[in-house]
Amino acid sequence: MTSQEKLRRFEEKVSPHLKSAYNLAKWLTRSHEDAEDVVQEAFLRAFSAFESFRGEDAKPWVLTIVRNTSMTWLKRNRNAGATIGFEGALVDPIERSPDPEEGLLISCERKQVRQALEQLPSDFREAVILREMEGRSYKEISATIGVPIGTVMSRLSRGRDWLRRILSTPQLVKPEEGAGLR
Amino acid sequence: MNCDDSRIYLPAYLDEELGVGESLRVQEHLAECGDCRHAQDEQLALRSALRDSDLYAHPAADFSKRIEAAVRGAAKAEARWQRSSWFQSLRLEFFRWVPAGAALVIVTTIGALLVMNSLRSSHEQLIASAVLAGHIRSLQPGHLIDVPSSDRHTVKPWFQGRLDFSPPVPDLSELGWTLVGGRLDYVDGRPVAAIVYQRRMHNINVFLWPNHGSPADAIKQEDGQGYQILHWNGAETTYWVVSDLNNAELLELARALRGH
Repeated sequence: MTSQEKLRRFEEKVSPHLKSAYNLAKWLTRSHEDAEDVVQEAFLRAFSAFESFRGEDAKPWVLTIVRNTSMTWLKRNRNAGATIGFEGALVDPIERSPDPEEGLLISCERKQVRQALEQLPSDFREAVILREMEGRSYKEISATIGVPIGTVMSRLSRGRDWLRRILSTPQLVKPEEGAGLR
Repeated sequence: MNCDDSRIYLPAYLDEELGVGESLRVQEHLAECGDCRHAQDEQLALRSALRDSDLYAHPAADFSKRIEAAVRGAAKAEARWQRSSWFQSLRLEFFRWVPAGAALVIVTTIGALLVMNSLRSSHEQLIASAVLAGHIRSLQPGHLIDVPSSDRHTVKPWFQGRLDFSPPVPDLSELGWTLVGGRLDYVDGRPVAAIVYQRRMHNINVFLWPNHGSPADAIKQEDGQGYQILHWNGAETTYWVVSDLNNAELLELARALRGH
């Protein structure tokens, strides 16, 4: 494959996924500037490794590179202590209400959903973003994150549970980082 | 299906990740259980809140132009690298076809050798452009090292679990090469170790990965856009060394690394 042809194929297969790449990077880094840097680095990496890409749909491949680049980026710039979330870090924001009526989402305000999602530890956040915003299948998420499908299911279910509960108790959705996540 | 099972299956059911049989059983249960329908409504409410298109993060208007320019820049750099080897292989092809008849056997043999050689050298060109790109990327702020340390006993273990091999990290400080750290990089379709040394503010990237099957050979030299590139196959490890340091000193480092 000549460089010209490689560039043409790259722009045909990979470039259309720039928006998804940015969305994922933005939600993982929670910063516009970081997301732009991560996507640029990821696209250069993708270009230099493009010979190793097989298949038709490059989206899962691109998202995997973006995800890994974001993780390396976050580890490198460990400026926010709570940036990297581990599974153990997910603590119930509130005791589960015994009355199902009280469990209803009382807050679907966009701002609160955004804050809740930003506060969700990254292990869970990446699964939720890949599923809900990028429409990835469990199998694709499992390949992108590098964990078994069972783990994907449990992270999705626990992450969504947590979001549902924090959105049912608006007093816990605070602007500062990590409310209810100790 | 009872409520406990139904709650377990519900998320996968809504994500359309259940088999037909299980989906039907969840449906049947939902038809007759109000509590579980309520749980379903809650999950659907969260889903539509998360899929709100305003939550989706959109890049700046000129972002795709910037990325396009960056990728095209990388493509150009790569093309410059490959051009020299294309001319070479074109000429080889030409010479392969000129002598005919009696010399056929000899020519075919020589031709085969030359083709193999040019294949190998174009592979090396690919690696050369990859390590050069890795070196240049590493010079951008914040990209040089993942594990900053002048202690080889910190750098070497850092790679454990990140690579499928344990890279040699010799201490060359007595020879005037300061170890500054290590980094993961990606070359020739695989993750590799990049060890970073310094001399007089010049950064030297030493890329290394296990040598599978290539015979050990002498130090070879490539020249790329003002950077010096040295590479060789050791008995167990393939080395690529890149820096803007002068050739003589870099050769000195390469020999020191070979000695370890």
